Amino acid sequence: MKIFTTMLATAALVASPLLADDAEWETWGLTDDAITIGVMGPFSGNASSYSKALVGMMAYYDKVNDAGGVHGRKLVAVQEDTACDSAKGLAAAKKLISQDEVFMLQGNSCSGVALALRPTIVEAGLPWIVAHAVSDSISDPMAHNIFHGVPTGSANGRAMAAFVLSKPDTENVAIIEHSNDWAHSYSNPARDYLKEHGVSPSQELTMERGQTDATAQILKLRQNKPDFIIAALYEAETAIFLRDLKKYGMGDIPVMGTAGTDLENTLKRTGDFDTVKNYYVIHSYVDNLDGTLMKPWADMIHKYAPDEELSTFSFVSIGSAEALVAALEAVGPDLTRSKLIAALEQVHDFDTGILSDPITWTATDHQGVKSSAVAGFVDGEPTVLKAWGQPY
Amino acid sequence: MSQTMPTAKQRRLRSLLFWAVPALLLLLPFATNPYTQFIANGMLISALVTLGFTLVIGNLGQLAFANTAFFGIGAYGSAILAAKLGLPWLLTIPLAGALGALGGFLASAAALRGIRSYYLAIITLAFGELMRWGYLHAKPLTGGTDGMPMPPETLFGTSFSSDTLKFYVFLAVTVLLVKATLNLMRSRFGRAVMAVRENEVATASLAIPTSRVILVTFMWSGFVVGCAGALFSRHVGYVFPESFGMLHLIASFAMVLVGGLGSVLGAVLGAVLLTALPEYLRAFPGMEELFFGLIVAAVLVLMPMGLASLLRRLSPIFVERFYREAP
Amino acid sequence: MLMQLTLGGLSQGMIYALIALSLTVVYRSTTVVNFGHGDFVMAGAFVSYVLVVLAGVAFLPAAALSMIAMFVLGVLFNRGLVRPIQGGPHIGLALMCIAAGYVLRGIARMVWGREVLPMPAVFDMQPIFIGNLVITGDAVFIIGTVLVLLVLFFGLMAMTDLGKMVQAVYQSPRGARLIGLNVDRFNDFSWGIGAALGALGGILVAPVSLLHPDLGASFLIKGFAAMTLGGFGSLGGAVLGGVLLGIAEQYAGAYLDSALIEITAYLVIVAVLFIRPQGLFGRKAVVKV
Repeated sequence: MKIFTTMLATAALVASPLLADDAEWETWGLTDDAITIGVMGPFSGNASSYSKALVGMMAYYDKVNDAGGVHGRKLVAVQEDTACDSAKGLAAAKKLISQDEVFMLQGNSCSGVALALRPTIVEAGLPWIVAHAVSDSISDPMAHNIFHGVPTGSANGRAMAAFVLSKPDTENVAIIEHSNDWAHSYSNPARDYLKEHGVSPSQELTMERGQTDATAQILKLRQNKPDFIIAALYEAETAIFLRDLKKYGMGDIPVMGTAGTDLENTLKRTGDFDTVKNYYVIHSYVDNLDGTLMKPWADMIHKYAPDEELSTFSFVSIGSAEALVAALEAVGPDLTRSKLIAALEQVHDFDTGILSDPITWTATDHQGVKSSAVAGFVDGEPTVLKAWGQPY
Repeated sequence: MSQTMPTAKQRRLRSLLFWAVPALLLLLPFATNPYTQFIANGMLISALVTLGFTLVIGNLGQLAFANTAFFGIGAYGSAILAAKLGLPWLLTIPLAGALGALGGFLASAAALRGIRSYYLAIITLAFGELMRWGYLHAKPLTGGTDGMPMPPETLFGTSFSSDTLKFYVFLAVTVLLVKATLNLMRSRFGRAVMAVRENEVATASLAIPTSRVILVTFMWSGFVVGCAGALFSRHVGYVFPESFGMLHLIASFAMVLVGGLGSVLGAVLGAVLLTALPEYLRAFPGMEELFFGLIVAAVLVLMPMGLASLLRRLSPIFVERFYREAP
Repeated sequence: MLMQLTLGGLSQGMIYALIALSLTVVYRSTTVVNFGHGDFVMAGAFVSYVLVVLAGVAFLPAAALSMIAMFVLGVLFNRGLVRPIQGGPHIGLALMCIAAGYVLRGIARMVWGREVLPMPAVFDMQPIFIGNLVITGDAVFIIGTVLVLLVLFFGLMAMTDLGKMVQAVYQSPRGARLIGLNVDRFNDFSWGIGAALGALGGILVAPVSLLHPDLGASFLIKGFAAMTLGGFGSLGGAVLGGVLLGIAEQYAGAYLDSALIEITAYLVIVAVLFIRPQGLFGRKAVVKV
């Protein structure tokens, strides 16, 4: 038993952070011509369509590299799969940190995984830019090395509710959602915002992933006749929901969707303009997905990933990659992890040219993107909107 | 069916081996980094899950898939006891085991009502999915979809965020439970379990209380897996409903089969191998399912009694007295 | 509202019925429950997608070709992987089916893992309004197709000796062999039919939902619930169980809570097995010792 205790003590000592080698720690994963960046994402499993975000982001790295990199260093992505599973994601993060010894982390799409990773990454101390997952709890309470580079769930959820209430005379709002953390990350802040403005949702419905029929839900809505419906549903279920809504003669009720869907693909899926004409989505970008302002980004992704089918996810992480590059530029050639963290905190009102709202990180707030625009059909054309009837 | 039993000398060697392996493992943290240590910790958890599973489907011969339900009950039980009641995590391990045993009691209730074979498989599948639905919707207790974080804690001044510390605790629990299971299966009770598997009616006619044998096996299985659940909640530091779905069930099913149905040694081997495999496949994301399916199909056709049967042929040391290969 | 829910449940239930029926066809002749059937359903939908979208074949011939392809796959699976371990424990067979399903899912994931594919609508018809009741094109199409198929299937079973052969093999494979039935070939045939019927389920559901590699997972458990409700091993029971399950889901969702739709199938399984284990038409399911 005594031996065991001794070993335990020794092992604990070995396992404790290596404080002695601060200088070495600061430049781990860094060489004269490369910065290694651990990119975690759901490259496999049933959430793998989210990994498009990371493909877009890595295309941006390639673009920077083709232009000579940052201070002569190339951005080298080391990809690890999380499969959107907390245990597998934790293994991925630990591998990147302690085996691949990357300089920093950028990425991760699934909020649950990100939450499970948070303590480990805080302890490891290296910079992590959350490039897709939206849950507020990832970066709130603030951790000194974790930066949120996309609008968080509360920013999006509040933007959804704000848009819903910007339509004159909206009083009766219904919510339909999946019972998963993704959906709640939108609907809970939306509920809060509605409540703050004296509106409580008149109806709460769920529709689970994989359901191919929304009859039961629609019939309940038909009795209630809401002014606006907030739908936190994935792409497939959104299409089914909208289709059934129209089928039962309620196609005139506007529906507010999340950033998990987009107008173009929803239209493609339902194959019918009438079905989607009153559908609005959170749209974190400056233009329509096929608009002129987005075209250069689409071309960039296709240059480096020729076969990639584009969706709304493809663009979501590019803005944070731009902010990262700007911070790396600002640090200069003498890069360390601490200097990068300090430089990221100097990113103020950074216009990415792709996100509808600028990125601002400060020493006290690492949630960089505070709001989102909305997209909807105006005169048959997808249009980015600030509020009901107001183009962006 | 021709299995040589180990000689007295070989039995001594075997018991030496049994203690030598964990003793050597005490040194493992000196050879790992946090990543490989994390994987090793996961292997210990999988070993317990597989052990509990193989008892029911291998030794008792019941097609019950409630394993993942026990695992979830243990993990949530431990997290709730630690986070809501403030119990030290170490104390929650046996309590989570007890909750798992309660789950085992429920599952055995189905078996004892005479629901067997595929019916038992389906009803226990439903049990697992209903539990998962419960975690999702019992938000005040479980955090719902947001999951539930484990409170930070220390032992001897070391934080439980240390994978090394976790490893020693996991190893101790695993060795304890494996040893206890081996003893249980080597006892008169273990022979009764085997008899029930071979012929329940004949066993009952020998005045062996088959119902009680089934009940106790399910409950012990639940206890072992429930404890594994408690380890898992600390392992990840967070519990989410998604961790306790079909994917987990199928993974542990495969571990049981690759290791060898009904073999304690096989359970451990299968768990170690199939926990390591996906890590080696990291370079090919998305191929895991394919590899996994092919490996399982190959094992089933070429080596239906799993790795344990290979080892048994290699040396009688590995013969488990309480277990006979099916004809 | 009741009528509308019943109609919605009916069209959903028809799919469940088809899947339960295809599971039962295999189970009755081989006593194997195909735990990988969900992925066979998915594979059928994907094959038809490839034919329709990538090869430009019209929907109906594509559906037929896809069913034939899945028939062949079912036969090959039985010959290559099930028969070698047929004598072994149920557990091995269950896992073999899961493994096969995983391989199919793995292939689908490798090729289409990161895309969710829309299947072009097949049957574009304006919905019919009868008072408050809305009858949609999809519903007409699904209910119609499955009804035709069921009539064909049960007609064949009743008019020919097929039904008796199935019964014979189900009751005693050895006895069936003694009277000159080629049981092995019969089992091949059942696996083929099972896979093809399951594939049709996938083909019908694909235009309504969307195509992704995990498409089949939820259908497997619905199929089980339908089989349990109707009575394990009863062909007619599987169909009725499927329809009832579809309707029950809609009622539970509308009158109780829409979160219940997801677990209706599980609740049905637990309730049936504890209250009336033989289901509506099945044989005694419980074992008494």
